[in-house]
Amino acid sequence: MSPSLDIRSLSFEAGGNAILDQVSLSVEPGKCIAIVGPNGAGKSTLLKAMLGLLKPSAGSVRWGEQDISKMAGRDRATAVGWLPQYGIIQEAVPVLELVKAARFRFSESRRASLSAALEALTTVDAHDLSQRSVTTLSGGELQRVMMATLIAQDAAVFLLDEPANHLDPAHQMGFYDLISRQWTSGRGVVVITHDLNLLTQLAPSDRADDVLIIGLREGAIQFQTPLSTPKLGDLLGDLFALPITTVHQDERRYFLAGARP
Amino acid sequence: MNMRIALTALTCVTILCAAPWMGAPLHAEHGDFVLMELRIPRVLLGAIVGAMLGLTGAVYQAVFDNPLATPSTVGTTAGASLGALAVLILIPGGGSSLPMVSIAAFAGALLVTFAIAAIAASGRARINDVLLAGIAISLAAGAITTGLQFQADIASTFEAVRWSLGHLTQVGYQGVQLLAPIAIFCGGVLLFHTRALESMIGGEERAHAQGVDVRRTRSVCLATGALGVGACVAWCGPIAFVGLIVPHMVRLGLGATRRVLFPMSALLGAAFLVLCDGIARMVMPNHDLPVGVVTAMLGAPLLVWLVTRRR
Repeated sequence: MSPSLDIRSLSFEAGGNAILDQVSLSVEPGKCIAIVGPNGAGKSTLLKAMLGLLKPSAGSVRWGEQDISKMAGRDRATAVGWLPQYGIIQEAVPVLELVKAARFRFSESRRASLSAALEALTTVDAHDLSQRSVTTLSGGELQRVMMATLIAQDAAVFLLDEPANHLDPAHQMGFYDLISRQWTSGRGVVVITHDLNLLTQLAPSDRADDVLIIGLREGAIQFQTPLSTPKLGDLLGDLFALPITTVHQDERRYFLAGARP
Repeated sequence: MNMRIALTALTCVTILCAAPWMGAPLHAEHGDFVLMELRIPRVLLGAIVGAMLGLTGAVYQAVFDNPLATPSTVGTTAGASLGALAVLILIPGGGSSLPMVSIAAFAGALLVTFAIAAIAASGRARINDVLLAGIAISLAAGAITTGLQFQADIASTFEAVRWSLGHLTQVGYQGVQLLAPIAIFCGGVLLFHTRALESMIGGEERAHAQGVDVRRTRSVCLATGALGVGACVAWCGPIAFVGLIVPHMVRLGLGATRRVLFPMSALLGAAFLVLCDGIARMVMPNHDLPVGVVTAMLGAPLLVWLVTRRR
């Protein structure tokens, strides 16, 4: 059993403004945390602090007993992997090479790295893209390839920053299925999203209790509740200061923002 | 693709092997001396310098994630020029003392690039800011150099201009013996970072998330490149264009995969510089046309042609 990623009373300030204020949460293996909140709530900053990219002004991020900002690079990459919001790649390298590069933390032969990369591409159903140049991929293909780099890195916790933002509805659903498969098979997953109706795609119907929804506003946690909670629509409405209607259809919940009952 | 890499490598090696026979024909009585004591050391020197410039250019472009980054844009060349010209102009008869010019050039290159590497190592600077700082320092060093020339008498100014064109005219094996160990060390250190630089293709933050120590990688690569290029510039003057154009030629022909790009940039850099020097010998047999003139005149149109052909 791998340790959990613990965020303890984390605060972060930039230019005198509090971006994060006393945030505490714990990412356990086989669990999923979805962070929702308005623009500027501090969601991406929270992920960067969890990666050790930002030095918190107070509090800490711990992997078991270790402070994440003091861990050696390769050890840290064992604990957490990250899918940034914008994946801009200028160099025309083959997909397989890009995915292979994510094996940096492993001391292994090039052959072993390549076979792990190919396996990761197969997992996301992008095996046929392996020889394509990264710069020729469509948005949906690129995001699947990026997921493959994360799987190739094989960290215990995945941090995903609005991973389906630029995708069409079919690709969004497909991508959330991928995420769902990752945490149900034992990883810890943290995902930031704006799209409330994708939340219900995060879990198979019998595992909704294992998904924790965290509402972040002005750098502080406003609520945290399991996905299965019936009053989720009201909580989301308060968070975004919008009337939100919950609609039940085919045993699924849909959240309609701005609609009055 | 493997076939193309092999063919390119074979062509480069052929050029390197044939180069000593380029230029005026070797006559019987002096032929052996010219070949063994002049041409072969000169080709070896050109190969070492070309490889160092090509490899460092490729690595700098990868570190800065910017196609315009070269040893010239981060101040290595400008620092070396300032050092060398200060000796040539300020010290009477300084030009006759070659070691002094070289030592001053080397010191100038290291001073400037280590300042840049220190900025890169500090956590706060973004990589584009580091490049900007390099360009600013380059321009400042260039201005001081021009100011020095303005003060100087005509003889030392002529000497200085000659030096700043870049040349492979130093006679004998001395330069080869001096530069080879430095080049092997620097090349080894740079190639050792191939995997880290592969990971940096997706940006520095992603590389950090994949376990790369980004700050250490960028400052070590900058400093090592400066050491190698600084030594080359100290001996041969600033040779234009090789560090910029060679990596782009490899990238356009063979792709940007780091494992191919870095070693092939070194090999092509060696072949390109030696070929240019051979052409310089053939065009003006007894005038020692500086190789820097040929690299620029050949390199610029070649790069433009390659880029437009691709788009």
